Amino acid sequence: MKIVVCIKQVPERDARLRIASDGKSVDTAGVATEINESDQYALEAGLRVAEKVGGEVVALLLGPDAAEEAIRRALAMGAARAIHLNDAGFQGGDASSAAKALAAAVRQESPDLVLTGLQSDDAGWSQTGVILAQLLGWPSATLIMEIEQPEDGRIKVKRELEAGWFQWITLPLPAVLTIQSGIYPVRYATLKGIMGAKKKEMKKMGPADVGVDGGQVGAAGRKVELKRLYVPEKTAEAEILEGDAATAAASLVDRLQKEAKVL
Amino acid sequence: MSVCRPFFTGHLDLEALFPFPSMSPEESETLEILRDSLERFGKERVDSRRIDAEARLPREVLDGLAELGVFGIIVPAEYDGAGASMMFYAKAFETLARIDGSIVVTVGAHESIGLKGILQFGTEEQKRRFLPPLARGEQLAAFALTEPTSGSDAASIRTRATWSEERGAWILDGTKIWITNGGIAEVFTVFAQTAVEREGKTVDRITAFIVPRSLEGVSSGPEEHKLGIRGSSTTEVHFEGVVVPPDLVLGEVGGGFKVAMEVLNSGRLGLAAGCVGGMKQLLAEATSYALERRQFGRPIAEFELIQKKLAGMALEIYGAESIVYLTTGLVDRGAADYSLESAICKVKASEGVWRVVNEALQIAGGMGYMQEYPYERYLRDARINLIFEGTNEILRLYTALSGLEAPGEQLKAVARALRDPIKQLGLLTGYARGRARRAIHRPDLPDLDPAVAEIARPLPVWVAEFAGAVEWALRRHGGEIVERQIALERLAEAAGDLFLMAAVVSRAEEGRRAEPGPGGEAHVTRARLIVNEAWRRVRRQLGRLREYPDNDLRVVAAEVLASSGAYLPGRRPAE
Repeated sequence: MKIVVCIKQVPERDARLRIASDGKSVDTAGVATEINESDQYALEAGLRVAEKVGGEVVALLLGPDAAEEAIRRALAMGAARAIHLNDAGFQGGDASSAAKALAAAVRQESPDLVLTGLQSDDAGWSQTGVILAQLLGWPSATLIMEIEQPEDGRIKVKRELEAGWFQWITLPLPAVLTIQSGIYPVRYATLKGIMGAKKKEMKKMGPADVGVDGGQVGAAGRKVELKRLYVPEKTAEAEILEGDAATAAASLVDRLQKEAKVL
Repeated sequence: MSVCRPFFTGHLDLEALFPFPSMSPEESETLEILRDSLERFGKERVDSRRIDAEARLPREVLDGLAELGVFGIIVPAEYDGAGASMMFYAKAFETLARIDGSIVVTVGAHESIGLKGILQFGTEEQKRRFLPPLARGEQLAAFALTEPTSGSDAASIRTRATWSEERGAWILDGTKIWITNGGIAEVFTVFAQTAVEREGKTVDRITAFIVPRSLEGVSSGPEEHKLGIRGSSTTEVHFEGVVVPPDLVLGEVGGGFKVAMEVLNSGRLGLAAGCVGGMKQLLAEATSYALERRQFGRPIAEFELIQKKLAGMALEIYGAESIVYLTTGLVDRGAADYSLESAICKVKASEGVWRVVNEALQIAGGMGYMQEYPYERYLRDARINLIFEGTNEILRLYTALSGLEAPGEQLKAVARALRDPIKQLGLLTGYARGRARRAIHRPDLPDLDPAVAEIARPLPVWVAEFAGAVEWALRRHGGEIVERQIALERLAEAAGDLFLMAAVVSRAEEGRRAEPGPGGEAHVTRARLIVNEAWRRVRRQLGRLREYPDNDLRVVAAEVLASSGAYLPGRRPAE
């Protein structure tokens, strides 16, 4: 069974971020990076399926040269090889143009299963995985909590719904699944694994290599344009609820229900 | 190639000093990923408070560390290790130290000293047989030298191996104490007296043996109760009539002292790296505490006295890192002798972490003293570093005496005594005085970045002064110098500070070159602060050496001893 896992390199969780001078992007100079959290779980899920039924996991990443470190991490954790969509033509896109590039690479690989994290920790569109499935014309399911061993060309998965509800569904393969964070303990990259990863194949590919029109991907192919990136302004606002404890409590509940809508 | 030894004759070995070493990009990337794994492992799987309270490392933690590969970092790939450089090992060791004191000591006893003898002195067959399971962490190793009557005086061990013609094997008898990993190790590097022929006479010389626990007659005692690093295993190890086949002799018969010393040389470097890691963890925690804790309406981090402490900790780290990395670089470049450097690294880093843990606890104030906070555990864990793998006192004497060999050689009368100082202790008198004083020139520095050159100016000045003081001390004391421990300590301190100065100058030069702008500037600031303090300490030590106020100290000590521990003559102890 061949499984492609799409991963993205993002700034480390507690990194201190600065907005770049263009006002539209994050200044990544000197910022430590990691594999996007839910992508780590997607990778772990993929490795588990491959270990159970046999086969290989191929890591697929779209990003600049600096993203090679994320690929090494994926290889160190156990991916058999990697495809790095690394070309100026892929840069500056949105979720749909990224999905077009990924779909082209996936078509070339023709895997049985594609896994992605459910969303990226930086842009957070939660779109790439589902657009990818749409472009491939494959069934997809989101918010995956558990994957059963595939059988007879079908795969049974557990989805997370609202308010503590879950859903088990079965999809025909090939399929695209977007994986929820925290579902398994993610394995550690061991020293052996890290050193072994240096010998694994890492194929760098541009738009022409995956057979996609340059106008469809990267900045040229985007449908969403980011206008401005800014840090929320801090404002201090406080409201004192008057009256005795019972009155104040009643007023608080009322406001939480009607204004804040958290109850 | 040596940084410290040339100081004693007034030289700077520029080849050893420049450029400041670094890891290959490939190793850096490997380390980066491994570090993340180790940090995550520490957060997810290691409960240091519980390890300390229960005084044991859970099996799952040891298995996890084995899986991660930390037990074979330094072992070549052909024996199932990672074959990493010494610098990589030191940096990985730092990360382990940040996770837990008991863990780093366990790994160090295994890899820095336990299996190191096999790695450095083992035959091909011994390496093939023992290293793979040790590198994989399936078995742990331990280093067994210390005995009830033999601590610092390692040459006086009583454990004995007697050759039995009848069995064609060595029969090993004796007891070792305070053996780290004693209760969990499967393979011991054991040192024992053996009878050898020297110039027609039969004499005792130490031989090293590889002793698997599986041999009949090997046993370990109950766990010792310790102040800190309580999760590490420390026990007696007993050898009762253990039949050791001749193919388990490590190195040459009679050559065991050399094995022990070489192993400890590299062990001390690992230990120093562990201290550096500990300091980094402490600075990180003290900083976040200082930012959160509010008094007088603001975070205490805003007060100068707290800032001074944090800056002081940062300088301790920068200095200790610089000497440790410079020394690991020497090892990786194949330097034959780095014993002075590693001894100084061990002394400076262990005393550095002790000061840093003290300051971190002080910043946390009363909270720091409470068991809810980790500082008291850090303090207990850090204390051992000043004691084991050679007490800091012994290492200072070693640094001075070993350093004095070269200048002593030129003054033949003391040369023999210096080569075997312990044996000759007290036997030496007199020495040709009044020889023409050798002219000691200030050594030259290479062309440096202007800002670094400015900082570096005191270095050649004080190297020359130091060599002058060394010669003066040799003339003044002659062979008696081996008994003048206070003077030796001053020389060792001065040599250590010269090493520190040289290392931070080299590193600042590299920092300036690699990172133009604020990054390089930060190196220069740290180097300046460190050098400014260090050369003044050197001046003070060398001044004291000649004034010799130490005689008065000896008078006071004699009075204390004569009155069984009273602080004034004529008083009773504790009065």
